[in-house]
Amino acid sequence: MRVALIGNQNSGKTTLFNLLTGHNQKIGNWPGVTIERKEGRIRSTDFEIIDLPGVYSLSPYTIEEEITRKYLFEENVDLILNIMDSTNLERSLYLTTQLLELDIPVVVALNMSDIAFQRGIRIDYKYLEDKLDTTMIPISALKKTGMMDLIQVIKNRDYRKNKYTHIYDLHIEDCLKQLESHLDHSHKRYISIKLLEQDEAFYSYHQNGSKKIVETLCVTYQRDMEQVIADERYRYIEQLRDEAIKSSIEKMTMTDKLDRIFLNKYLAIPIFMAIMFTVYYLAAGPFGSMTVDFVDKYVSIFSSWLSTSLTSLGASAWSRSLVIDGILAGVGAILTFLPQLAILFLLISFLETTGYMSRIAFFLDKVFQKVGLSGKSLIPFIIGSGCSVPAIMSARTIHDETEKKMTIMLTPFVPCSAKLPIITLFAGYFFGDYSGFVSASLYFFAVVIIILSAFIMKQVLFKGKTSSFILELPNYKYPNFKYIFKDVGEKVLAFIKQAGSIILLASIIVWFLLSFSFSFKYGIDPADSMLAQFGNIFSWILYPFLGELSWEATVSAMQGLVAKEQVVASLAIIAGYSEEVSDGVFIFNSAAFSFFTPASAYAFMVFNLFSAPCFGAIGAMRRELGTTKRMWKAVFFQTGIAWVLATLVYQFLHIFEVIG
Amino acid sequence: MAKKTLFKKNDIATLADLKQHQKAKVVKLNTLDKALRRRLLDMGITEGVQVKVKRIAPLGDPFDIELRGYELCLRKDDLKLIDVEVIS
Repeated sequence: MRVALIGNQNSGKTTLFNLLTGHNQKIGNWPGVTIERKEGRIRSTDFEIIDLPGVYSLSPYTIEEEITRKYLFEENVDLILNIMDSTNLERSLYLTTQLLELDIPVVVALNMSDIAFQRGIRIDYKYLEDKLDTTMIPISALKKTGMMDLIQVIKNRDYRKNKYTHIYDLHIEDCLKQLESHLDHSHKRYISIKLLEQDEAFYSYHQNGSKKIVETLCVTYQRDMEQVIADERYRYIEQLRDEAIKSSIEKMTMTDKLDRIFLNKYLAIPIFMAIMFTVYYLAAGPFGSMTVDFVDKYVSIFSSWLSTSLTSLGASAWSRSLVIDGILAGVGAILTFLPQLAILFLLISFLETTGYMSRIAFFLDKVFQKVGLSGKSLIPFIIGSGCSVPAIMSARTIHDETEKKMTIMLTPFVPCSAKLPIITLFAGYFFGDYSGFVSASLYFFAVVIIILSAFIMKQVLFKGKTSSFILELPNYKYPNFKYIFKDVGEKVLAFIKQAGSIILLASIIVWFLLSFSFSFKYGIDPADSMLAQFGNIFSWILYPFLGELSWEATVSAMQGLVAKEQVVASLAIIAGYSEEVSDGVFIFNSAAFSFFTPASAYAFMVFNLFSAPCFGAIGAMRRELGTTKRMWKAVFFQTGIAWVLATLVYQFLHIFEVIG
Repeated sequence: MAKKTLFKKNDIATLADLKQHQKAKVVKLNTLDKALRRRLLDMGITEGVQVKVKRIAPLGDPFDIELRGYELCLRKDDLKLIDVEVIS
């Protein structure tokens, strides 16, 4: 048995999915969190359940909504579990009435029934059940009430079988009946309505004579049939509402009270800036650096302990070097940033669940509209400060193709959490007391470049195009801390896993290439190593913004393609290697990197920040942009901008170094 | 910038002409873009529905419209295409 979970965006679908299956899928309080379908098994049954992207209707507007319609229409679904937001019944019912037109049984779970009750909304479930001839169960996914009832009903198949009720006026119903008689398809009701609406995607279903029926009806109405159907549907829902729902005089809801502050004409933008500043100040600023120093101390202690132990155990020089200079220098350099990243993940996860993200999209839309983006682009940008991969995917909720493509190409410019180690390392060493300020300046720099690039792209590529912005403002939700901690825990674990797999492997490879020459001789001068030879081929590319031909910095920057944190791992390995002591982050005292000045340090950060993202993100761009050609365009565009900016920054700042 | 005219009860205007807290009834959708009109209909902006301008974004655009018990944000450019009859 296969159950499809369908509901409006932001109706609590994924929360319910997690409850029913015991999974821990991503949830957030902004429309469009579920962008791919997820599969699971309902607890204590062998029923398969599929979490599909939220839809407002079965006429898709964005590609992620298309996934849902396609799934319902083309796969064999035995039951639709329709989740409804009890505080938003009218619009929820609009979808429900459409689901009932498919030839699939429907069970309705009325979510947030507790919140609706608190707000004084009283729903006559019995009346709705009778009218729609479908089983309805009030639940609260958050408080976990009604779950047993729901599972029981599904398990025992103890639900009504939905005899279709007539919701349109006589003319239309009559016409639909005629159309249905021409069709031989299980979803003939749904197709008939689509034919009436003159939906181009369904033209191929027309049979002899069916076109005539539609045309005759159009002449009678003299109006756009899509509109007639929507009007009729909502008219029917209004009748249901009047009979089944009693709501007491509206009090100011919590959301209204909070919006008076967060969406206040004068306060909205300052509050937003303060929140963002706090988030990145805590993660990237002095507080974050403090945690790095703290962990680094223990990594160093462990490293020297391990070194002595290995020596006393009689390990050979090369094997000791592999462990200390290769693995520990690389992986250890990354792990020191773990607490800092945990802070960032925690704060972003918190923002996502509260409902504030949609509000940011709302009040900053004007700015982004000017440069050809959408307020919705901000959601990928903010998520992108955690990781570009989910961020690029979340751009799917943007309807307009141009806005979406631009957002995807620009999202990697946001300093993701893996770039944070690079920023912390360079800013901390070269700018000492001003490190917090310098880190912040990079975020600011990223925002300016994003806006500027978008503006230029719009002028050059998509001139004079306008687009729409349709966004539902969800109610604020009290953050579910249990979920947040789980979410952060998973991200932290994923980071550790990455350090233990990709970074470990890359570190070993770097160590190997650094330890051996092309004739496989060990114990050579690093300058004769394979890595150096390789780096020397490309080091001229970085010369304009480093002021030095450094194969060491070149190969490190290139490893950003594997993962951005690998840049730091590589710096640490190379630095530790040329010095006798390998001591955590004393990278810049080593011969290899002592050439760095504040100007080249800043330029190097800029280059790593804006250049092509890691393979993971490039893959995501490939998937979301649709073609490999567009992906290459994006990668060259990003790397090109990075090179130009880094060079400009270096040449400008270098003037002061020369004078000073 | 010219000061916006205040539309009173029974006036016909577009949704973009309304001020904060004004209520109106949708009379007609003039949207030509088929996909957009479909979306507006799906979101509940049908003829006869009562809407209220709940708030306007600090930078003057978009509008936050209250209808059918929820809030929907739309840009001015799209609101200009929606004719309404002012209620209050």
